[in-house]
Amino acid sequence: MTNKIRDVLCSVIMLAFGIMMIVLARDIPHKIASDVGSAYVPTFLGVCIVVVSAAKLILTLLDKKPSASRKIRFTKDALGGFGTIGLMAVYMLIFEPVGFIVSSALYLFVQMILLSDNKNRNPILFAIIAVALPVAIDALFVYAIHMPLPVGILGF
Amino acid sequence: MIAIALANVFNPMCLALIWFGTILGIIFGSVPGLSATMAVVLFLPLTFSMEATQGIALLVGLYMGGISGGLISAILLKIPGTPSSISTVFDGGPMAEKGEAGRALGVGILYSFIGSVIGIIALAFISPLLAKVCLLFGAADYFGVAVFSLTIIAALSGKDMLNGLIAGLIGLALSMVGMAPIDAQVRYTFGNYQLLSGFDITVLLIGVFAVTDIILAGFERKTLSASFEKKKWNLKGYGLSVREFIQQIPNAVISSIIGIGIGILPGIGGSTAGLIAYTTEKSRSKHPEKFGTGIIDGVVASETANNAVIGGSLVPLLCMGIPGNTVAAVFLGGLLVHGISPGPLIFDKSGQYVYGIYFALLVSSIFMLVFERLGLPIFAKLLDIPKHILLPIIMVMCCVGAYSANSRVFDVKCVLFFALLGLFFKVFKIPSTPLIIGFILGTMFEENLRQALQASHGSWSIFVTRPISCAFLIIAVVFCTLTVRRNLKEKRAAEAAGEMFDISEQG
Repeated sequence: MTNKIRDVLCSVIMLAFGIMMIVLARDIPHKIASDVGSAYVPTFLGVCIVVVSAAKLILTLLDKKPSASRKIRFTKDALGGFGTIGLMAVYMLIFEPVGFIVSSALYLFVQMILLSDNKNRNPILFAIIAVALPVAIDALFVYAIHMPLPVGILGF
Repeated sequence: MIAIALANVFNPMCLALIWFGTILGIIFGSVPGLSATMAVVLFLPLTFSMEATQGIALLVGLYMGGISGGLISAILLKIPGTPSSISTVFDGGPMAEKGEAGRALGVGILYSFIGSVIGIIALAFISPLLAKVCLLFGAADYFGVAVFSLTIIAALSGKDMLNGLIAGLIGLALSMVGMAPIDAQVRYTFGNYQLLSGFDITVLLIGVFAVTDIILAGFERKTLSASFEKKKWNLKGYGLSVREFIQQIPNAVISSIIGIGIGILPGIGGSTAGLIAYTTEKSRSKHPEKFGTGIIDGVVASETANNAVIGGSLVPLLCMGIPGNTVAAVFLGGLLVHGISPGPLIFDKSGQYVYGIYFALLVSSIFMLVFERLGLPIFAKLLDIPKHILLPIIMVMCCVGAYSANSRVFDVKCVLFFALLGLFFKVFKIPSTPLIIGFILGTMFEENLRQALQASHGSWSIFVTRPISCAFLIIAVVFCTLTVRRNLKEKRAAEAAGEMFDISEQG
């Protein structure tokens, strides 16, 4: 992907977002006669987003300079990145049904395994931290701050 | 009244409460996900049974410590502990990476203290005058302030102003979700009742600033252990020489004035003050290119301004009953519980408590200066924790922070949504700071725009016929024009020199 393609893609996505805002704002009812209405500002913002995105798109397409065609190299670790996103998604989904302590312990352990390499991987230490930290945080919130965290179906 | 206030504050119980509040505030401020607002909210019920000055003293300590504590994680973890410390990350983070974590912390603490003291002096001596100026502001003027704040941030947060503007507009758009002000119409909730109250700023901050970085660390896990080095630091005093201290005086004074001014304007808090002070110092500096690479100027500007906000935010609170930010709003609740009614007559009716607040703020800032510095060796130890252990721990704390904002799991899920939005911004080189500012200013922007248009029967001419609004809008336009010219000049110079110039790179 080049800088130009990246900027064109960004402009198109933002243009679509702006148009979506304007279209959805049309369904917002106007209740107070003397007021401009609750759809006014979202429509105004939608128009601004469309104008700015269109300006960016035109400027990008007109840009003939060499920097525009510079290629962006992707050398990232996809498994590490998407694995982290996946783990976070699962953690947030089980946060309430399983409870804070169990879900956090599971997340912590698997995430630490995922982020570590062969040299610094220490499953015993990870397991101790994964259990001790959620228990300590839960105790702090329950007994000191008096704000219970989700307990889940297991009751803790 | 001053003598009574002195006697009330300088007794062992009250001093102990200020100390306790300051230390606790620093802890709340330093932990990502916890905040000064949360500290004041959680301990507000405790003050109900206390004598008025003692209760207020505890809240003052929490407020002062909470705002200052944010610099610790901003520097050591590159994650702002509180929104006020967003701009501290820009230079505090790189300083820590260069092995100057101790120096960054020392400078941050010292200038937090200086900013606080200047803010308190402003509060005590010029508050009635500033309050009178604020009384002149109408809806159109507040709209002008919002537009000015947003454009200045959008213009200075990257090399491409269009990307900054897009980010600011997306932030404003996100603030439209939920019930609208004035007529409470439901917008963009897609039938989800959890969205009726809109997105929470804490959740947005946690997602965009903290969780996005953890995801990015996942993408770079192969170099995660390689990039981690035990930061060695050596700190004497507060990390700067007398010469450097003298050099930073103009920066500290200007940043304090910005902090006080922003603090006085309702709806704009420490985060905006820090960012504006940072960008002002960057544009004023003889070496703007060094900003973001780890220099003390950025830390000084940010920390002085965000702490000066404390004094500034209490000016409209005490004189008009208008809180300058969310913490001040909770603080207002504390005053009302103790029968102290803010307003123009507060100096006559509750003078001893007002002076009590001044003295408590002063004592708290001294405690902050001493105990935050003494605790530095412990705070800096945070850097020794390996990233593959630290980042998952931070993630759990972020989820706890998001959950405790409103005690609902929905906010925890929103964290991932905002983290992915932050990732999108990173991939497309869009700065995330204008997004946050846009979101913070969203309600103020809409309310004042609609009220002004109501008053003018739909005519936009009100924004140019009102002198204050007109002045802010003109400054915003001039500033944008100058920034665009400067960016184009830089781009042409780079192209002429045969260098690749990516216009979207963040500055």
